[in-house]
Amino acid sequence: MSDKTTRRRFIDVHVLQTVPPSNLNRDDAGSPKEAMYGGVRRPRASSQAWKRATRLAFAALGIGEDQLGTRTKQIADHLAEELAARTGLDPEPAARIAAAVLAPLGITASKNKAEETAYLLFYGNRQIEKLVDLVADRAAELATLDDKKLLAELATAEVKSALMTGHPIDVGLFGRMVANVPGIDVNAACQVAHALATHAAELEFDYYTAVDDRQQSDSKGAGMIGRIGFNSATFYRYGTVSLHQLDTNLGNPKAAVEAASAFVSAFVRSMPTGYGNSFGHRTMPQLVAVAVREDQPVNLVTAFEKPVQAYGGTGYAEPSATALATEQTTITHQWGAPALWTGITHAFTGEDTAKALGTAFGPALTFPTLIDNLTAELSR
Amino acid sequence: MTEATTLLLRLAAPLQAWGDHRAVVDTRHTSPMPTKSGVIGLLGAALGRERDEPLGALAELTIGVRADVPGTLLRDYHTVSDYRGVPLLSSKVNGKGRQVGTSPARYTMTGERFYLQDAAFLVAIHGPAPVMAEVTAAAKAPVAILALGRRSCPPTFPLVLGTTADPIADVLTGHDWLASPHARTLWQRKHRGASPATVEVSAVLDDPNGDTILQDQPLSYASSGPRHTSRRVRHTLIPLPTGFDPGPDATSGEGHDPLALLGW
Repeated sequence: MSDKTTRRRFIDVHVLQTVPPSNLNRDDAGSPKEAMYGGVRRPRASSQAWKRATRLAFAALGIGEDQLGTRTKQIADHLAEELAARTGLDPEPAARIAAAVLAPLGITASKNKAEETAYLLFYGNRQIEKLVDLVADRAAELATLDDKKLLAELATAEVKSALMTGHPIDVGLFGRMVANVPGIDVNAACQVAHALATHAAELEFDYYTAVDDRQQSDSKGAGMIGRIGFNSATFYRYGTVSLHQLDTNLGNPKAAVEAASAFVSAFVRSMPTGYGNSFGHRTMPQLVAVAVREDQPVNLVTAFEKPVQAYGGTGYAEPSATALATEQTTITHQWGAPALWTGITHAFTGEDTAKALGTAFGPALTFPTLIDNLTAELSR
Repeated sequence: MTEATTLLLRLAAPLQAWGDHRAVVDTRHTSPMPTKSGVIGLLGAALGRERDEPLGALAELTIGVRADVPGTLLRDYHTVSDYRGVPLLSSKVNGKGRQVGTSPARYTMTGERFYLQDAAFLVAIHGPAPVMAEVTAAAKAPVAILALGRRSCPPTFPLVLGTTADPIADVLTGHDWLASPHARTLWQRKHRGASPATVEVSAVLDDPNGDTILQDQPLSYASSGPRHTSRRVRHTLIPLPTGFDPGPDATSGEGHDPLALLGW
């Protein structure tokens, strides 16, 4: 957990996204998940489904290698290499120092191969850099000591803390819990709510028949029949990131800002893939609003407790956008809880909608500009 | 006797989940109301406590919970897999205490999670004034991201309704019904347009002489295994003013309702 006196910032992400008839996250009966809210049945996509989609989207974002993790048995080799590269030390003394640095961790060597640890260790490339930082300044001096003195010299080095902080960004964001190995849990720095439709929608079934192409002409009937549950919805998606927790997890303010921005991009652009080939539901959001807050995260789902109605052919997206703007403005003014910074991406041209969104979140930006402005704000 | 304060929280969201002692790996239950360990845990997170920190003064607080809108049970089918596409680990450990892989390799584990959907609770937390001042400030500006019993259940605004010097029992009987205008409309629709002056909601509060024992008094939140002990509570039904307009044809809706205690 972060120091109680550090500056706190939460990054709230609000997304409105319409999907056509689809089944992106199904239950054990094969039907799209649902929940009751405001007394009506609504399509739902679980938090877990969208977090998985978000993690997979990280790969597509081209995140730098220094921010990702390595899973290997050869941490000692890796450390020796980095140490030699930084200090110009010969491989042999570098390996000796690397082994001594890792000794306090109690990482035992493999029985078969002396240079390997007994199990795969998952650590951040940045964490190796921190280990090198611990000894780089006095590497030449350490190289002259014998093994026993070297171990004694490094016994107090803060090796454990270097390896228990500065995690790779996916571990930093989503956390890690290892029940039977104490001390290496990581508190998650993000929260993702279940995506919920802003309106009531009933589950429907698509009854389908498949024809057997080589069926004899005198035989009747389909080769196969079945049914797929589906529905169509304008989803409200909400997620929040704790920048201070991410800072603690990654051990680097700049990396924390980059990871937070990467999360926003990945969360916004990702989508669960369930029945993707049958329904082709891959849409882009119609609205993305981001709020940086210093007091607490604020989930705006209450805007849709009274289900949105689509009177007069308006569809659900535009009245949902207006409801979202109204809720944000209400919380800002009536409850005196303004956000530190807001930014929005949308393409609603209706005069009232655009005006309400402008009042609540500011002028509409392109999504890349929104991310740039957010990164600049978080870096301040 | 030092001064005491009661903090009022509104726990309302599309989904909440208040796990109980039945917690097992692949089935996650929810209690019908926020548990004491759940609420104290939420306050601990707000204060920025680590999971393995001693509870200290938090363990001494007393609470009362009122089910203003009881909500309904949602069963969620859940699958677990490794996003890197590698087989899951089994529950067996090798000689070094490390988990070994499933054999034959399994890629997906199924389970179920239960949630309370569409519910709203009033929670009153009572304790010494200095402790409650700290807790209240933290609930308004939490260190950690808060959740209503499960990570995927963010609370909605406002979470903190205020503080008072009144004891829990008075707060629970005196505070307004938390049903939103929309929820009130739904209530009337469900009760065929009834417009009673009051509705009865159920409440559970700490009481050393209570006749029910709950196993949700927190001892530790350590990730190696949270521990609980028992506490005595008392169940009650509390009539709350509805503010409904009693039209000339309105029924009172106050007939005998044997299922009221179940919150149906």
